[in-house]
Amino acid sequence: MKSFEYGDREVGTYEVFASVANMVIGFGLLTLPRIIVQKTHSVDGWVSILIGGVGAIFFSWIVAKLISRFPKQNLYEIGGAVIGKPLALLITLMFAVYMLAFVAYETRGVASISRLYLFDRTPVEIVSLVFLLVLIYGVSGPSVTLFRLNTLFLPIVIMLIFVLLLMNISHFDFHNLMPFFVTDWRELVITSKESTFSFLGFEILLFYNSILNKPKKAVKASTLGMLIPLILYLLVFLITLGMFGAEVTASTLYPTEELAKQVEVPGGFFERFESIFFSVWILTLFNSAAMAFDVSLLAIEAVFSKAKRIALAIGLGPILFLIIMQPQNIDELQLFAEWISYAGIGVGMVVPTLLLLLAILRGVKGRA
Amino acid sequence: MPRIMFRNTHNKRSPLRKSGGSQGSASDGNFTGRNVHESVAQIVRVLDAPDDLVTRFISGAEGAPVCAIVCIAGLADLKMINDHIVTSIQQAYSAFERSESITGQELYQRLDKQFLSVQKYKLTQSLDDILVGVLSGDTALFIDGVDQVLLIGSKQWTGRGVEEPETESLVRGPREGFNESIETNIILLRRAIRDPKLRIDTYRIGERGKKGLVIAYIDNIVHPELIQEVKRRVESIDIDDAPESGTIEQLIQDSFLSPFPLILHTERPDKATSAILQGKVVILLDGTPFALIMPTTIVSLVQSPEDYYERWLIGSLIRILRYTAVFISLTFPSLYIALVSFHQGMIPSKLAFSIAAAREGVPFPAVIEAFLMELTLELLREAGVRLPKPVGQTIGIVGGLVIGEAAVQAGIVSPIMVIVVAVTAMSSFAIPAYSAGIAFRILRFIIMLAASMFGLYGIILTLIMICIHLSRLNSFGIPYLTPLAPSYYRDWRDMFIRAPLPMLSKRPQFLQTKDESRMGSREGGT
Repeated sequence: MKSFEYGDREVGTYEVFASVANMVIGFGLLTLPRIIVQKTHSVDGWVSILIGGVGAIFFSWIVAKLISRFPKQNLYEIGGAVIGKPLALLITLMFAVYMLAFVAYETRGVASISRLYLFDRTPVEIVSLVFLLVLIYGVSGPSVTLFRLNTLFLPIVIMLIFVLLLMNISHFDFHNLMPFFVTDWRELVITSKESTFSFLGFEILLFYNSILNKPKKAVKASTLGMLIPLILYLLVFLITLGMFGAEVTASTLYPTEELAKQVEVPGGFFERFESIFFSVWILTLFNSAAMAFDVSLLAIEAVFSKAKRIALAIGLGPILFLIIMQPQNIDELQLFAEWISYAGIGVGMVVPTLLLLLAILRGVKGRA
Repeated sequence: MPRIMFRNTHNKRSPLRKSGGSQGSASDGNFTGRNVHESVAQIVRVLDAPDDLVTRFISGAEGAPVCAIVCIAGLADLKMINDHIVTSIQQAYSAFERSESITGQELYQRLDKQFLSVQKYKLTQSLDDILVGVLSGDTALFIDGVDQVLLIGSKQWTGRGVEEPETESLVRGPREGFNESIETNIILLRRAIRDPKLRIDTYRIGERGKKGLVIAYIDNIVHPELIQEVKRRVESIDIDDAPESGTIEQLIQDSFLSPFPLILHTERPDKATSAILQGKVVILLDGTPFALIMPTTIVSLVQSPEDYYERWLIGSLIRILRYTAVFISLTFPSLYIALVSFHQGMIPSKLAFSIAAAREGVPFPAVIEAFLMELTLELLREAGVRLPKPVGQTIGIVGGLVIGEAAVQAGIVSPIMVIVVAVTAMSSFAIPAYSAGIAFRILRFIIMLAASMFGLYGIILTLIMICIHLSRLNSFGIPYLTPLAPSYYRDWRDMFIRAPLPMLSKRPQFLQTKDESRMGSREGGT
């Protein structure tokens, strides 16, 4: 069908901004305060978050630079131009696998947390399966759908965080934050690695390049998009610590959810805000997972150009389900998350940096 | 009454050829015979000489060319034919000298330039055109020796007057509504927009029905690609008959798999004109009071003309109320199911006690209870629409009693459920677009089903699926969720709230109109 001037299958600057922000925000926000405090033992962890965030913004800048150097080309084509087809094929497939693992992790996470905060009897398998089915439905259409979904959900998610923080402000105890600057700076730098994990997600742009409306503006949009999670992480970290203190936070599985538990809805209209919080939080978790799924489909499609999208999505379903069911407990799930994060640093940060450097050195440029 | 001539969209299959009623020279659809008697005989033959076919030959002096009139009694205004057509032909005859021998061509020239006192006619040679014209109330005038036929507009039909629309009533606003006559509906549009750039493009729809269809828009506002697309789709319609604009809607909409209306319909001329002035396109169809507005976005389902007639604060608040109504109508029963059967902890303890007490005697789980009540309500609504008005009230009372009192007393449902159902029903009536209300009703049941299996989790996943579906939809190339996603911030002034009129000085951005400003500083213009 003919589209009506507004590029039907293209995405604009705001969509990129919202999608990068939404992709990055996910589980990180629920667990970050604990992970950081476990290492730093004090409120100084905010420095680690800042370092991690700034580092991630730097790498997202590199990714954006890379894709604006090769307008309308995806990772496979960029790689093909810079380092040759075989290596590009390898990188692309690695990317696809990484993204699929991320989908599995995200789905499993949803299932685990919903058992904690929504229902205790429904089995994890069923909860994950339902989520997976909705994911398949989500990715079976054009990618631009997911971008639109992101623009819809991002304001809701940000608003939810602010409601959460505002409603807790009365419990905030400044003494919990003391003392400042007691952690060794080396410790802080090492911990920043943990926070970098929570900032992964911007690398999706490597595959959405072909549908971007204005590739030149991608740099600005993705940097701004990264700022949103950075600000939210810092706010949530500080308020959580101010509420619970370092020790309690370090021993709570999902400190942000516990934050929601403290909320008393004015007027007693309903109780257990954490259930509402998590239900709405599913919006952003879904978006992250769906974007990742979509990107892995795009990666596979880039390599095997004959693959049919819907068939691919449905075909990958059972494999995904098996991966989802692999972690047996929370510890294994966290180990899984750690692997994924290392893979993400590999394909999302190192590879684009190398590609950009090589492209500059060899003077390779995409056709405008 | 203006007489409007419609042009055929296309003629892939001609009913004449199919029916086999015509032979010889007529089979090619053209009319070449110069002999009046032959020509008329041909028409009579094709139509199989029905009783209401009026044929009349008029002849002047000896040697003067004979004229013939063909029309259908009842469809054509016989008085008008007598007063204007027949009289002017006679005048034309008498204008010639008695001895003069005149040709048909000369007579036609005279008629055309001097005597024929009708508003509009067209010349044609095609048999199809003549038949369609005669069958829709025009009069065909044959002149001996002229190979063209004059098709004179003489339609007459006593339809309903301009009445108050039944479906979209307002407290404040014009009381006129469209009616079944397309001529009247065009007049209603023209009376509201006196812009010389208002375009009324006419088509004929239906191979057998041959109904008039009008595409109305303002030429220097609407985006050229939009109007092209609308025309392309309308021209591609190939159907026997379009009984209602709903048929057109289903044939030209972007997707037929969606419960959401991708084209809005309205009975209100003011709604149609304001859509035209925004840069949208309106389609009118003969025989129905419902006009189609396109493109449609989800936001426009919740807007009512009244929002603009009242002051902005009132308009905005009422609009927000309607958004709340949409939300309640979609999710209220499912929230009840989820809370009662999964997340009892979320209900404040005092309320939880009273719900538990009320549900004590109820033998069914909350899901069955909710489905039972919602189903009853849907039945009640459907019955209320079907029944004649006086009986409808009775049904209302009986149904209300069943739903309200008796069901509770019999211990089938709990009083809380009655409240839930009632609030949901009220909310769904508060949505201005009826077709959108139906979509939300369908989805409500799906969400209820999901809630009964997965509680809040099910509700949120279904809502996500609805959002995915919505963000895939397009209406004439415009994403259905515009101006939300993709975002057009300027249009947000007229989305959740209705900003004060001075702030709405520009037409909606997403329609990409040629002339943006509708207030204050104008560039160019006509």
